[in-house]
Amino acid sequence: MFRSPFVSSPPHLVSLRLGRSNWIVTELLLLMAMTCLGVSVQAAPIETNTVQTLISQRKVDELKKLGPEVLPVMARLYESSNEADRTRIAETFYQLGWKSAEAKRVLMKDVHTQNQYLRLQVQWALGRVSNDVDVVEVLLSNMQNDANPLFRDKAACALAYDQIHLTEKQKVRLYQGLIQSLRDSKRDVRRIALLALSIQTGQTKNFNPDAPADQREASIREWEKWLEEYKSNL
Amino acid sequence: MARRVQIQLVIVGLLLASQAAAQLNSSNILVSYSFDDGDLATGPDTFSVFAHAKGTVALSLTSHLSGYRSIEIRDVAGDGDFPELQGYFHRRDKGKLFLHFALMTAAPHEELNIALAGPEWFTLRKDGIGFWLKSQDGYLCQVSDSMPKKLFLLSPFVWYVVNVAYDIDRGTYDLAIDKEGQPKPIVSLSGQMNAPNQPGSVVDKFSFIGDKGEDTSNATYYVDDVVVGTDEAVVQLPFVAPGRRKLFIDYWNESQRRLRSQPGPLEVIELSDLGIRSREIQLLRDEGLWDLLLQLISGKKRRADIPRDLSAESSQLLQAVDFWKDACEAMTKGEAKAALSGFEKADQLIPSGKIYGMDAVLALAALGAWQEVDNRLGRIYSIWQGDLRFPVALAKIGLARQNLDEAEQWLREPAERVPDELGRSLLRRLRSGEIDENTLEALRNRFPDNWTDRIRDALIAEEYFFVLLWKNQTSEAQQFAERMLVRYQTLGIPSSKWLERLGDVLFLMNNFSGALERYDESLKEDSRNTGVLVKLSDVYFRLGDLEGERLYREKIYGKLSQE
Repeated sequence: MFRSPFVSSPPHLVSLRLGRSNWIVTELLLLMAMTCLGVSVQAAPIETNTVQTLISQRKVDELKKLGPEVLPVMARLYESSNEADRTRIAETFYQLGWKSAEAKRVLMKDVHTQNQYLRLQVQWALGRVSNDVDVVEVLLSNMQNDANPLFRDKAACALAYDQIHLTEKQKVRLYQGLIQSLRDSKRDVRRIALLALSIQTGQTKNFNPDAPADQREASIREWEKWLEEYKSNL
Repeated sequence: MARRVQIQLVIVGLLLASQAAAQLNSSNILVSYSFDDGDLATGPDTFSVFAHAKGTVALSLTSHLSGYRSIEIRDVAGDGDFPELQGYFHRRDKGKLFLHFALMTAAPHEELNIALAGPEWFTLRKDGIGFWLKSQDGYLCQVSDSMPKKLFLLSPFVWYVVNVAYDIDRGTYDLAIDKEGQPKPIVSLSGQMNAPNQPGSVVDKFSFIGDKGEDTSNATYYVDDVVVGTDEAVVQLPFVAPGRRKLFIDYWNESQRRLRSQPGPLEVIELSDLGIRSREIQLLRDEGLWDLLLQLISGKKRRADIPRDLSAESSQLLQAVDFWKDACEAMTKGEAKAALSGFEKADQLIPSGKIYGMDAVLALAALGAWQEVDNRLGRIYSIWQGDLRFPVALAKIGLARQNLDEAEQWLREPAERVPDELGRSLLRRLRSGEIDENTLEALRNRFPDNWTDRIRDALIAEEYFFVLLWKNQTSEAQQFAERMLVRYQTLGIPSSKWLERLGDVLFLMNNFSGALERYDESLKEDSRNTGVLVKLSDVYFRLGDLEGERLYREKIYGKLSQE
């Protein structure tokens, strides 16, 4: 561990900003886009080369300025790129955090790729471009069934942190899948499912992935009861 | 006067609303704002106002429940930020807390969020959000047991008075909400689980916002008569300046002392610290694990990324690095016990990684296990003697023991040996805090004979300055800071940090005009240093310039003015 610069701001000032950002569950999202909508009729078409350059230079703020019209261009670029470039474009979709059917469509094609770098970026980006139920389904499936523990783990990460467009109602499927995974025969799946649940809800219901099956079952029933109540409040 | 009358009314309201409410009087009140009087200074002990885009937080004369003013929070969708009134009170980790406020929305279908939270800020977890109200599809909802629960359909331009009796120990609350013009409460709930269903969840702040950052809300709503009280008398320090019960410089000084008195892991400056020498480097390269090692060190990869089909030796090396990295993170979070366990595991796997043993000693120091600290120090003394980080480690232990003399003794000699030679851009990077692998490598190549002197400079000088400051040796601290400043300026290295330190020591010596000069110079060199802004606010306060005091304070905490 290398020493970081000495802290010159009082910690409470630093945490002030941190704390504020915690409220922020999503980034600029669609309404930055909406401001651009008004001028879109007269705006010049976005050049593919411009987008390609901005992505390669990681200039996300510049891409944001182009508004959501950049998304179909990025999707087309994605389809015609090699794996390394697709990885970078997926990462850019993630950073933009804008909903896009085109982005979802192209990313879904790589959601089972064995290219580690591409797979992780795709899994992380999907929830930030779409709130469709099949995105949650495929991530749940990867979390439970992928042969590679790393892909399972990172799918759980995506379910925990990146499903930013889900409504309270849409979260039902997410919770259902995670609770169901607590019964998985693989210990690591039980562990990561619990982690995702606890990040989403702030609680564990005393579930211990290493406990004997009957003890685990008791906690799972608590979770199921909780989910029923959650649904009844929608 | 109007404020005092309001508080009385509110206390009556609280007592009526909550069966559990204890007798409240002024000694039980942590926070009370009716927004009618002029004393509404922002600050670390009052509240902050965030309005950095089109949204606003302003005093409103047009709508109020009591007195003649309320707060209007107006969010604007798509402007890239959300306005916020965020208030602070004395941290509460047990007993009961009572929250009272009045709320009126102009647009029930626009999202608003109101929360009580703790040191984990506005997150759904223990010590994060405790109590949370939000509007959703026109309904006011409470978030209880990690789920939103509808309370009632909001009416526009109607005042609602909210009373919460929050039981910290049980993690539950009673909630009563009155609607303007209705004789009985429209909500009267008891024993509701707190937001994350976590008993013992600490609270120390509240917040009123529109949306949570999705930037979709066009809410306009009004808040009046905010009161936070407790079931026991609370001793609160008086305000010493607007918005603060201590001067900013005192908060800063205390936080530095707290930070530096908590031993952290020692800096790694060689791979051999991790038991990785040329033979191990070759082995890792041969097995295609070199990049993985670097990523484990930087935290970009974790244990799950270590493949299973590799030699036992490589596996042990990588696992040790991973345990150590986890332990470093635990240590930074103040989880010394978990950190100790990680360092010890790493040490057992790779005993030749000398940093593991030393970090374990520092974790023991953090736990206050002094006898074990001394035992283990004795065991590793021979391999650490002569290492430039050894005095730093011993000073850290001295600080943790609250023994400033011991800390100073270890630091004095190496700090005074800080070299005077002319430097290069490398030194600039080093002294600006950019200590990373590349800098170190370049440094070793450029100064093969005395590169360690440069590291010592960066590691020790500030530590030594603070120890002098805390020993009240202000003259010595001033002289040391001046020497460092001259060195930096001679070398053409940015010196804003030492200009600020000089300002600090001059302030503590009551030389406020001198401090002002130094802080101004520091800010000219580095305009991003927000720490200097609040210290400037203190300086102007001490100089009797209240306009200056306010100007700099409000640069950080925002301001509340009439719409």
